[in-house]
Amino acid sequence: MMSWLLILLPLLGALVVIASPARLARHLALATSLLVLGVSIAAALVFTGWGNGAYGLTAALDWLPQAGIVIQVGADSVAFILVLLTTMLMPLAILGSYTAVQVRQKEYYGWLLALLSAMLGVFLARDLILFYVCFEFTLVPMFFIIAIWGGANRGKACVKFLIYTFTGSLITLAAFLMLAWSYADAHSGVWTFAIEPLTSHAAGLAASDQAWLLLALLIGFGVKVPLFPVHTWLPLAHTEAPTAGSVLLAGVLLKLGTYGLYRFALPMCPDAVVTWAPVIAILSIVGILYGALICWVQTDVKKLVAYSSVSHLGFCVLGLFALNPMGLEGSVLYMVNHGLSTGALFFLIGMMYERYHTRDMRQISGLARVMPVWATFMVFFVLASVGLPGLNGFVSEFLCLIAAFTAGDGGAYPGVLGPWFAAFAALGMILAAMYLLIMVGKIVFGPVQTPAHGHDDNDLPVDLSVREIVVLIPLAAGCIILGVQPGIIIDSTATSIADTLAVYPPIIEQASTHVGATLDAMVMGGAP
Amino acid sequence: MNIVELLIPELILLAGSVACAIVGVSTRRSMRDALPAVAIAALGAAIAWTLCCGDTLAEAAPMPALSKWVTVVGCGLGMLLVLLNAGTADRDYEAAVAAGRTKFDPLRTTRGEFYVFMLLSIGGLLLAAKARDLIWLFLALELTSLPTYVMVAMSRREQRAQEASMKYFFLGAMSAAMFLYGFALLYGATGTVELAAMHEVFTAQQGDVGMIALVGMLLAILGIAFKLAAVPMHLYAADVYEGAASSVTAFLGFVPKAAGAIAVMGLLWTMGMHADGWLLPPMVEVMLWVMAVLTMTLGNVAALLQSSAKRMLGWSSVAHSGYILIGVIAGPDHGGWAAVLVYLLGYGLSNTGAFAALAALRRGGNEVESLEDLSGLAERHRGAAWTLAISSGSLLGFPPLLGFWGKLLLFIAGVSSGHIVLVVIAGLNSAISAAYYLKLVALPLMGASTARSREVEPLSVQWPRIAGLIAAAAVILLPIGLPAIAACAAAVLVN
Amino acid sequence: MSDLLHMTLASAMTEADLARFLVLSSLLFAVGLCGFLTRRNLIVMFLCTELMFQAAVIAFVAFGRWHWDFSGQVFVIFILTIAAAEAALALALVVLLHRRRNTLDADTWTELHE
Repeated sequence: MMSWLLILLPLLGALVVIASPARLARHLALATSLLVLGVSIAAALVFTGWGNGAYGLTAALDWLPQAGIVIQVGADSVAFILVLLTTMLMPLAILGSYTAVQVRQKEYYGWLLALLSAMLGVFLARDLILFYVCFEFTLVPMFFIIAIWGGANRGKACVKFLIYTFTGSLITLAAFLMLAWSYADAHSGVWTFAIEPLTSHAAGLAASDQAWLLLALLIGFGVKVPLFPVHTWLPLAHTEAPTAGSVLLAGVLLKLGTYGLYRFALPMCPDAVVTWAPVIAILSIVGILYGALICWVQTDVKKLVAYSSVSHLGFCVLGLFALNPMGLEGSVLYMVNHGLSTGALFFLIGMMYERYHTRDMRQISGLARVMPVWATFMVFFVLASVGLPGLNGFVSEFLCLIAAFTAGDGGAYPGVLGPWFAAFAALGMILAAMYLLIMVGKIVFGPVQTPAHGHDDNDLPVDLSVREIVVLIPLAAGCIILGVQPGIIIDSTATSIADTLAVYPPIIEQASTHVGATLDAMVMGGAP
Repeated sequence: MNIVELLIPELILLAGSVACAIVGVSTRRSMRDALPAVAIAALGAAIAWTLCCGDTLAEAAPMPALSKWVTVVGCGLGMLLVLLNAGTADRDYEAAVAAGRTKFDPLRTTRGEFYVFMLLSIGGLLLAAKARDLIWLFLALELTSLPTYVMVAMSRREQRAQEASMKYFFLGAMSAAMFLYGFALLYGATGTVELAAMHEVFTAQQGDVGMIALVGMLLAILGIAFKLAAVPMHLYAADVYEGAASSVTAFLGFVPKAAGAIAVMGLLWTMGMHADGWLLPPMVEVMLWVMAVLTMTLGNVAALLQSSAKRMLGWSSVAHSGYILIGVIAGPDHGGWAAVLVYLLGYGLSNTGAFAALAALRRGGNEVESLEDLSGLAERHRGAAWTLAISSGSLLGFPPLLGFWGKLLLFIAGVSSGHIVLVVIAGLNSAISAAYYLKLVALPLMGASTARSREVEPLSVQWPRIAGLIAAAAVILLPIGLPAIAACAAAVLVN
Repeated sequence: MSDLLHMTLASAMTEADLARFLVLSSLLFAVGLCGFLTRRNLIVMFLCTELMFQAAVIAFVAFGRWHWDFSGQVFVIFILTIAAAEAALALALVVLLHRRRNTLDADTWTELHE
C-alpha cells in the first residue's frame, strides 16, 4: 500500500500541478514532494527490511497474467535507502528551482513530479516489467527538462541522452525477455517476470549464457552509470540541464545504473561476473582516471563536476565488482554520498550561475569575499566530495578502495581483483583532490573577479538567500551525519548485501584454483 | 445458424453507406454537414449490436470470437477515422458553394461517396475476420481495398493524389491477381475452398504439405503483403501515403493493414495449426521470417532518411508491418496472434493520432508535410504538437504508452515461440526507429520556429484536431485497461 | 444415371489434361506479371493484371473440374464480378489521368519520390 502510494502520489501531484494556475505550481509541487517525503519517512518507520535481507512494503497486482506479468512492488534495505535519497532530494530540487525556472513553470514542476514517480518506481519494483517501464520512463521527464529549460546546446544534449539510454535499455529489455523465456522454457511454459525467481534461475544458467546476460545488462546499466566508454552523453546532458535536472541526474538517475548492476548483474550472473569482474573493474578504473584527467583541463565548472561524476561512479562500480561485503557496502554508501555531495555542488554552481550567468573559471574568482556563505558551502561540499575524513565521501571511497585491494587471492574474503586495481583507483582519488581543489582555489579564493556584466537583472541577493540556504542545509547535514555515522547505512544493509554475495565465495574459490593451476602451468615452462 | 444474422454488423454498415449516399446529395447544406454523424452512427450501431447480441457470431470462422474483436476495434477506430475525415471530403467544392461561386450540383459533389467508401472498406475489414472460405476472403479483401483506391484519388484535388491513386490501384490489382492465383493453387491442392476443410486436409497430410499448396500459400501471402505494405509489396507505401490527404493516409495505414494481417492469419491457420501445436511448413516460415526482417529494416532505415513527415510516417508504417509479422509467425499458441491484435489496436490509434496532427494543420492552403513545417509547432499549436509527440512515442514503443505494451507482447510471443534472432533484430530496429520518431517529438515541442513553420495555421475544421486528441488520450489511458484488453484478445483465439 | 455421368465426366480428365490447363494458366500468369513489370502504358498494364486474373480463373476451372467440385466455378463467377469492378475503376482512373497529362505513360507521373 505504502509502495503504491509512493509511486502514484507524485503522479497525482503532477496532474494537480498541471491543472492548477501557474503561480501556484511551484508551491503545489513542493507540497507534493514534501508529502511524498513524509510518506517515505512513515514507510521507513514501518519498513520491516532494516537489518535483514527481507523485502518490506510488498504488494502485487495481476496485470497480464497470461503473459506472466504481475506487477510487484516492495523494497529491501538497499532499495529503500535509495528511495529515501530520492524523496529527500526532490523537495530540495524543487525549492532550488524557485527562481531559476521562470518559463512554463507548470510543465516544469509537472515533469519533475513525474520523474519522482518513475524513479521511485524503479527502486520499488520487484518485477522486471515495472522496473523496465519506470526505468525507461525516467527518460521522458529528463528529456523535456533538458530540452525545454536547458542551456544553449540543449537540443543536441537531450537527443544524445535519449538515444544512448534508450538503446541501452532496449538491450536490457531484450536480455530480460530472453531470461524470462529461458525461465518459462525450464518451467514448462510458465512465464514470470518477478525478479526473485528469475534471479535464482539465471544464477543456475551455464556460464556462457550468463556472460551474454551480463553483457546485455552491462550495456543497459553501463550507459546509465555511465561506464567508460559509453559515458559521452553525460557531460553534455549535465552541462545543458537546468540545475534541478543536473542534481537529479547526478543524485538519482545515475544510481539507477549502479542499482541495476547491484540488483540484477551481481545476483543473476555470478559465474560470468567472476570471470569478467577484472575487465569491468579495469573499465571503471579507466573511467576514474579518464574522468579525472578531463576534469583537470576543464574551465567550465559544471562540466568539471559532470566529469567528476564519471570518475566517482567508477569507484562505485569498482566497489560492486570487488565482490566482497566491504566493497558492496562501500558502493551502496557511495551511491548515497555522491547523491548528496555532487547534488549539492550542482546546486551551488547553479546558484552562482543565476547570479553571474557564467560558469567559466577564467571569468570568475575570489567569490569568498563577495559571497562568503556560498563560499563556505562550496568548500564544505568540495571537501566532502574529495573524501576528507570525517565527511561522507571518505568512508565510501575508502571502503571501495580497501575492498578492491583485499579482493585478491590472499584476502579474508575471496575476490578476483587485487592491490593493483586499488593502486590505480587511488590515483584517481588523488587526482580528484587536485582538480576539485584547483577549482575551489580559482573561483572561491584569489583576487575578486566577476564578469563585466556582473550581477544583474534578477532580484537575488548578492549572497545566498534564506531559501537557498534551506536547500543546502539538509545536504550538508547528511554529509556530516554519514561522515561520522556511516554505520546507519552499513548496518542496515549488511544482511541484504551478505545475501547477495552468498553465492560468490565457492565460485571464486573454484575459479581461482583453476586460474592458479593455469598460472602454475605457465610458470613451469609451458608444460600442460 | 442464420447467415444473415451473422452479417448484421456489415448490413448495418451497408445501410449506413446507402444513407450516406442519399444524404450526400441533399441540397441542404446542414444535411450534408451531418454526413459524418450518419457514418459514425452506423459504425456505433454495428458496435452496439456486436456487444449486445454478438455472441451468435461464435460459429463464424476458424477463429470464432475474432470477428467480435475486429468489429469493435475496427468500427471504433473507424469512428475516429470518420471524425478525422469530417470536413476533408470535398472541402473546396463545399467552400465554393458556400461562397456562392457555384450552384450546388448533386452530380458534382463527391462528399457523400467519400463516407460510403469508408464504411464499405471498414465493412470489408469486418468480413475478412469472418471469412470461412477463400471466396469470402477474396471478396472481403477486395471490398477493403477497392474503395480506398477511389478515396486516395478524391482526397484532394492535386495531381499527386491522382498519381498516388494510380500507383496504389495498379499495384493493388497486381497483388490481388497474385493472391488470387495463390488461392487457386490452394484450392487445387486441397479440393475445397472452405478454410476448415482445408485445415483438415493439411492436418491429414501431417505437415508434409505438397508443393502446389506451398506455392499457393507463398503466392497468397505475397499478394496479401500488399495490404500489409510488407516487403516486397511495400513499394507504393511512401508514395501513396504522401500523395493522399493525411486524413485518408491514416485510414490507409490501418484498415487495409488490419484486413491483411487477419487474412494472413486465417490462411496460415489452415496450414500451421496441428493437434500438437503451431508449426508452419519450413518454407512458409522462412519466407515470413525474411519478409519480417526486410520489412522492418527497410521501413526503418528508409524512414530515417526522409525529410517529409508524411513519407517518414509512411515508411514507419511499413516497419510496423514487420513487427506485426513477428506475431503472425509466432502463431496462436504462444500468444502471438493475440499480441498482433493488441498491437494493431495500439498501432492504429497512434498512427491515426500522428496523421490527425498533420491533418489538423495547413500551410498556405496546403497540407503540412515537411519536417521543417513542424519545427516549433508547440508555440502556436500546442494540441497538435503534443498529439504528434505522444503518437510518435507510442509508435516508437515507449513505456507506458499503448504501443509499448503491444510491442512487449509481440516480443514475448516471438521469444517464446523460439524466434529469438527475429526479436533481437526487431529490438535493434526499435532503436533505429528512435532516431526518427524522436524528430517528430523533438521538432514540434522544442524546435525553434522558422519562417516556414510560422506560416502554419490550424485547419478551419475542428474535427481532425479532436480526433487526434482522442487518439492521443486513448494511447495514454488504454494501458490502464490493458489487462482486460489483452484478456479479450487472448480469448479471441481460444478454440 | 447421374452417377454414370459423374463417372464418365470425372474420368474424362486425366492428370495430363490437368497439367495442360495448369501450364496454360501459369504461362498466362507469367506473361501478365512480366508485362505488368515491363510495360509502361497504363492500359496495357491494366490488361496485364486482367491476364493474371484470367490465369487464376483458368486454374480455378481446371481444378474444379479435376476435383469435381463446383466451388471452383462459383469462385470464377465472383472473380469476374470483381474484375468488372476493377475494370470500371481502372478506366475511370485512366481517363482522369489522361485528362491531366494527355499521355498514358506511367513514367511521366513522377511527382512523388524521395
